[in-house]
Amino acid sequence: MSSIDHSHTKFGRLWKTRPLKRHYDVVIIGGGIHGLATAYYLAKEHSIKDIAVLESQYIGFGGSGRNTAHVRANQRTQQNVKLYDEGLRLWPILTDELDFNLMFFNCGNLSLAHSEAAVSGFRLAINTATFSGVKSELLDPQQCKEVIPALDISDRPAHPIQAGMYHPPGGTIRHDALVWGLAKGADKHGASIHQGVEVQGIDVDGPRVTGVQTSHGPISCNKLAVMAGGYGASICTMLDIELPIHPLTIQAMVTQPLKPLLNCVLSSGAYHVYANQTLKGEIATGAHMDPQVNYTTDVTAHYFKHQAEALTDFMPCLEGVRFLRIWAGLADMTPDMAPILDGNVMFDGLYIDLGWGYFGFKSGPITGKYMAEFIAREEAPEILAPFALSRFLENRYMGETATTMKYGHWD
Amino acid sequence: MTFRLTCPVCGARDVYEFRYGGQERGPRPEQAQLSSDEHFRWTQFRMTRPEPQEEWWYHTGGCGVWFTTWRNPATNREEPPHEVERG
Repeated sequence: MSSIDHSHTKFGRLWKTRPLKRHYDVVIIGGGIHGLATAYYLAKEHSIKDIAVLESQYIGFGGSGRNTAHVRANQRTQQNVKLYDEGLRLWPILTDELDFNLMFFNCGNLSLAHSEAAVSGFRLAINTATFSGVKSELLDPQQCKEVIPALDISDRPAHPIQAGMYHPPGGTIRHDALVWGLAKGADKHGASIHQGVEVQGIDVDGPRVTGVQTSHGPISCNKLAVMAGGYGASICTMLDIELPIHPLTIQAMVTQPLKPLLNCVLSSGAYHVYANQTLKGEIATGAHMDPQVNYTTDVTAHYFKHQAEALTDFMPCLEGVRFLRIWAGLADMTPDMAPILDGNVMFDGLYIDLGWGYFGFKSGPITGKYMAEFIAREEAPEILAPFALSRFLENRYMGETATTMKYGHWD
Repeated sequence: MTFRLTCPVCGARDVYEFRYGGQERGPRPEQAQLSSDEHFRWTQFRMTRPEPQEEWWYHTGGCGVWFTTWRNPATNREEPPHEVERG
């Protein structure tokens, strides 16, 4: 039988709609890139085919479709860099494996420092990267201008540019393509994807999770994985589980299309801006988070003004450019800016992949690969071990907040 | 959409005039005999249900008063507490 159901169209559907069963070996809550990648690797590499990915809306509705699609591996701590670096090297491999163009644009990332403290932070991050074999280098303002001629490197801006951290391996990915490609791959290897199925409760029997109550009736399972991004903390409250997670709204927006002027991903901690020029020519730019915990995707004029003021201060050529569109997603922030990847800790059979903050996109497929191994073998792979929940109770916070990209009041 | 919070002194004002102070979670535990586990649970662990919760806010762009109010994280709007029983 052909793997394509809808042969009446030229290209057919990328994945099948299968009937919803009452029992699965593994149920994954969340049809974003983490859930889909985990399903893909479970089915492909661990021969666990009896998997349901339950998505309350449509796949890619949450953070997977709301990010700015930046990918990089220049974080502060070795444990993080190791994971993100492997993730970065996975894009070309996945493009082949999934037989789907993920539109990986290896344009590099340039972060700007506007203070001595920020330059010191860059030196730390660059040393971590160099030690881990990841290319990252310090640029002076003139070199920054050679990378992006539109930058104003004079003393005129409120926060003059003092240095740059240039990270050539980074870039952007087409996020929708990644969601669709992973769904295609997961389906091809036997996992089933159920859109519009909302989890409303979690069943437990003593120390073990046994299934979920959904908008389409109860479903039992042997293993349950919560991979619902910013909504995951809310799902964990169904089990009265407290987590060190603050779900916050983060907004992003795009301008009208312009001629090419920004040829790499640009970010600035002091201005709270990260931006790239999309293949359509728009400047896509993301802002700081709203401060109050919430599960909405509300957008506000406040951030149009903020982003406009910030971008035009150090790239004055953008004055007068119009914003076309704004959207918001959720970032589930942890105190140490590192995720919580754990299993069988609060309940047997329960796996969590949460707390990514605004790093959940770049880490998606590589985390799915290792979470699949975790779920299949019931033992944390070495690379995920540092991200266990217990670190918060043992005062072993990760050092990500030691960087100048440190944003926010909770750290 | 932005929303407004009700400052006990200034009345309903735009949320960006305020600073979020986190969930109200009772008195700080006594330091004596406090285990690190209990300490970190109190300082960092939260249960953010999608229903009204009591929160601290600071009117940083106004009168400078700290106050508590009930707000629903599922809607962002101020809302009185739900009557729920959990056992």
